[in-house]
Amino acid sequence: MKKKTMVIDLDRCIGCYSCEVSCKMENSVALGVNYNKVLTLGPTGTFPKLEMYYLSVLCQSCKDAPCVEVCPTKASHFNENGAVLIDKEKCIACLSCMEVCPYGARSFNAEAKVVEKCTLCEHLTGGELPACVKVCCAKARYVGDADDPNSIVNQKIKDAGKDNVFSMPDEGNTPTVRYILHGKTAKWQKREKWQFFPES
Amino acid sequence: MKINRRDFLKTTAVTAGVIATSGLTEGALVKAAHAAEPQTRVVKTNCRNCTGDCGVLAHVRDGRVIKLEGNPEFERSEGALCTKGLSGIQALYHPNRLKYPMERVGARGENKWKRISWDEAIDKIAQKLMEVRKKYGAEAVLGSTGGGGNPNFFSVGRFLDTFDSPNWFEPGAAQCYMPRTLTFMMMCGMGIGGAPSLGDSSCLEAYFYREKTMRCFVIWGTAPSYHGPSQAGRVIAEIRAYGAKTVVIDPRFTPDASKADIWLPIRPGTDVALQLAWIRYIIDKKHYDSDFVLRWTNLPFLVNTKTKMAMRESDLKSGGDKDTFVVWDAKTKSAKAMQYPYDEKLSPALEGRYTVNGIEYKTGFQLLKERAEPWTLKRAGETCWLNPDDIERAIKLYVAGPAGIGLGVATDQNPNSTQAAQGVGVLDMIMGNVEKPGTVLQRYNDKGLAGQLTAGTSTPLAHFLSEKQLNKRLGGIEHKGMLHWWTAHPSSILEAIKTGKPYPLKVWIERSGNKLGTVANTYEWAEAMKKFEFIVHMYMYPTSFSMNADILLPLNEWLESDAVVNSFNKLYARQAATHLFETVNEAWVWARIAKRCGELGHQGCKDAFDPAKTAPEAPYYDTYEEQLSACVSIVGMTWDEYKKRAPIEINPMNVWRTYYNYKEIDPKTGKPRGFDTPTKKCEVYLESFIELGRTGKPFTTYPLPPASKDYDPLPYFIEPEESPNKPIAKNFPLVMTNGRLPVWHHCTLRNIPYLREIFPVAEIWVNPVDAKKYGVSQGDWVWVESLRGKTRARALLTEGIAPGVVYMERFWNPENIETSTQGWKEMNVNILSKNTPPFNDVCGTYTLRGYQVKIYKAPEGAPEGVWIKPKQFQPWMQQPSAPTPIVTLKNSSGGK
Repeated sequence: MKKKTMVIDLDRCIGCYSCEVSCKMENSVALGVNYNKVLTLGPTGTFPKLEMYYLSVLCQSCKDAPCVEVCPTKASHFNENGAVLIDKEKCIACLSCMEVCPYGARSFNAEAKVVEKCTLCEHLTGGELPACVKVCCAKARYVGDADDPNSIVNQKIKDAGKDNVFSMPDEGNTPTVRYILHGKTAKWQKREKWQFFPES
Repeated sequence: MKINRRDFLKTTAVTAGVIATSGLTEGALVKAAHAAEPQTRVVKTNCRNCTGDCGVLAHVRDGRVIKLEGNPEFERSEGALCTKGLSGIQALYHPNRLKYPMERVGARGENKWKRISWDEAIDKIAQKLMEVRKKYGAEAVLGSTGGGGNPNFFSVGRFLDTFDSPNWFEPGAAQCYMPRTLTFMMMCGMGIGGAPSLGDSSCLEAYFYREKTMRCFVIWGTAPSYHGPSQAGRVIAEIRAYGAKTVVIDPRFTPDASKADIWLPIRPGTDVALQLAWIRYIIDKKHYDSDFVLRWTNLPFLVNTKTKMAMRESDLKSGGDKDTFVVWDAKTKSAKAMQYPYDEKLSPALEGRYTVNGIEYKTGFQLLKERAEPWTLKRAGETCWLNPDDIERAIKLYVAGPAGIGLGVATDQNPNSTQAAQGVGVLDMIMGNVEKPGTVLQRYNDKGLAGQLTAGTSTPLAHFLSEKQLNKRLGGIEHKGMLHWWTAHPSSILEAIKTGKPYPLKVWIERSGNKLGTVANTYEWAEAMKKFEFIVHMYMYPTSFSMNADILLPLNEWLESDAVVNSFNKLYARQAATHLFETVNEAWVWARIAKRCGELGHQGCKDAFDPAKTAPEAPYYDTYEEQLSACVSIVGMTWDEYKKRAPIEINPMNVWRTYYNYKEIDPKTGKPRGFDTPTKKCEVYLESFIELGRTGKPFTTYPLPPASKDYDPLPYFIEPEESPNKPIAKNFPLVMTNGRLPVWHHCTLRNIPYLREIFPVAEIWVNPVDAKKYGVSQGDWVWVESLRGKTRARALLTEGIAPGVVYMERFWNPENIETSTQGWKEMNVNILSKNTPPFNDVCGTYTLRGYQVKIYKAPEGAPEGVWIKPKQFQPWMQQPSAPTPIVTLKNSSGGK
């Protein structure tokens, strides 16, 4: 079984928003909707002893994705690469997937009346990387198979060492996206609850 | 006939009668471009939404640009593309593009226009220029440029040279980059490209991060993650990943500061004080490279303490050489001429005061040491609001090296501008951080081609400007450093507009994003604009400035334009991916105006088309393509061949990039090549500043009368005129700085929906301590007020700025250009900035950072009419359009 996912190196990320804007250009994402967004975490501390990092948030490519489970029409599904996708033809906009996503990683496109999310650019074929990975200024984004121990994502996780690899809280949904962050850059900010795209 | 809404400016009301008679819809302009291109074609081109020129792959289908990607082949960006570049499509297909030449039909500011032909537009402009020249003199014609990423930066100056007016300006120049290019050119012969500017594709050593040569990078007053994410920001991330240390000197806690080993949150405007402390510490602790200082700087040379001039052999003995300098020989205890490059028989004293023939001399090193002497770490800490221990830790990282210092625009934006460039030059030069592995100051062997070709379409024609007119350049005698970029002084221009003295200005031709967002003390400029008889604005879309113009001319977006681009040892081609409406290249516009003025009897404008008269510079050509072909003929190609074959290698990498070029033996002299300065050494004691101030050498075409005082050869610090240490702080307690965000370059792109939804409004960063003091909460709208005016911003409470300091981003609101504010009054930091003396003596720099403001809650909330919610930007979403033929005039064809 393949499980396509992403690893983002927050030590490298310089918060330039290229991933966010390239995603919107590539996928013609409506204003006010995001598949991917750069959050500024910090600065924390008191001037001048401060820490800050940028957190690019997107679908966490869960293995036990509640959005897939709950979808009444099988619009939300895993494709052959293990990417979580939405078949817009089948989506009836019941929004139950949005309710169960623990991270608020899905958005409602009011114009098209469908739910949307990061597709890991699965429409690009022939080994092409997702738009956000290609364009990333700090070369901080990696995409690959979470289930292949030799994939680039697992290589990056291994190189970083487990103390420096973080993920979003797991509520039984088994997220596979990983973030690399060393203490030298900043301390990982733990939150119990995330809402990536509060406006949608 | 119905008009499609993308045919005409939505925000620019076109008079109904004209629409009905124009008879030109998109359909009439478009030839069968659609069916011709069933497959997607990839055009290899280069961005120009800043000066970085990143490589871009533009995907084109049916004549329409449908996708942009970074070009991995382009060395400086390696496939990365920032949000400014990614905006290319939304900018190109923006519904508010200027599409056709337009003439004002209502009152100024009323925003009523009619479409006119290019022939009519050029003729009207030329007629007016000739009329004004006859009545008031050519100097009454003012030009200006800027706007971020202008690929034809000097084309306005070129035209005004031709027309014989000395008056053009740019809100940058003395406030951006020129203080550094000037100073480094004079200190070590490294000017544009060689001056350490992280934002201007220099500091190239860092781009070879895989070699791990650079072990410490001092990022002084610049935020590469913000100004150049795909280039400088990217390579700084790489050198950090490869283990180099970074020191960031910036009032703001930027991404670079957050990842730095040491962040020094300096008080805005005090950089030179900190530099003097670094110099003092390095001299005191003997960290400097004494061998390099002795052999390759002019610091051992004796300087007359009265005249400030270095002693020549000719001062020592009659018949002595005027270009040979003198040292104090410790062995013989006498002054001795030092033959270039070095006389091993001598033991030059580095320090000391000596009397020769009854005259007192000190070594340059002694003078530098005395200059830095008061600046202990403690004093710098007090002046710059820094912890002295942090300063010391930073210096230690720097001296451990190999290291270099990268500068940005911050130090250029207050009257200490050239001194700050000198300060950094002094540091890197006394440390011997010159042409060594891992240092910033490097020269590359591009056979002189890179500069020549990339500037090829817009080099000045300095020798066309007459002596009489050069002498009339506003501010030109006092601030002769401006001769380097051949520009006039903004504050002196404003004074002339306001008072008519020393002479009035009557016509203003302008090319940039929005002058009313970029010039200091905007209200005064807006008022002064009313005094012009005739104003022309050329740009890609209308701005606040356009609303006050008489004629609007539509320019190409970068996706529609061609130019030579350089990266490392290669030359690339920006090439049009499509062409829309009647937009043209700016260089073509100036050539057309010159042509018409020539036809109307202007001799200089006629001569500018004659290569024999313009030599060694290129003449004007009838088409832009001919101009480009003439430009690339140096590499033996026509433009058509060139753009197909690009990239073209100038030199193999190992020839292009070599260290220690100054040691290379010049076959003509048998001596080392040295540096391109009068002494062939690094002129840390910048004596040539004195001659510049007295005569204009080495930049002037005619000797000019002296400035009111000599320019200082060594860096010195002046406390900001408006300062928290002065009485003004009672009413205006906060120091204002400004700076960039990663999504904008200068005042451009505020009309891009995908960018504005990220940063819809101008924020002001306020430390929570100050927020409490002034009754401001997170997200509040506040008034920001200085002695010059007030404007609004949304408060971002953050620890990322010191108590007592605020930061506000430049901004204007295109959504409001039709309102009474014209979009520039809502949240424009330059309403507050200071255009009055003191100026930097050399360049005339005024104060865009480091002046005093106050803030208070705005009970009115957000400025009326500004767009904040993402959906509000919907009217600006791209509306793709089919390509159109290139514009042609009666007598000459157009240019893309």
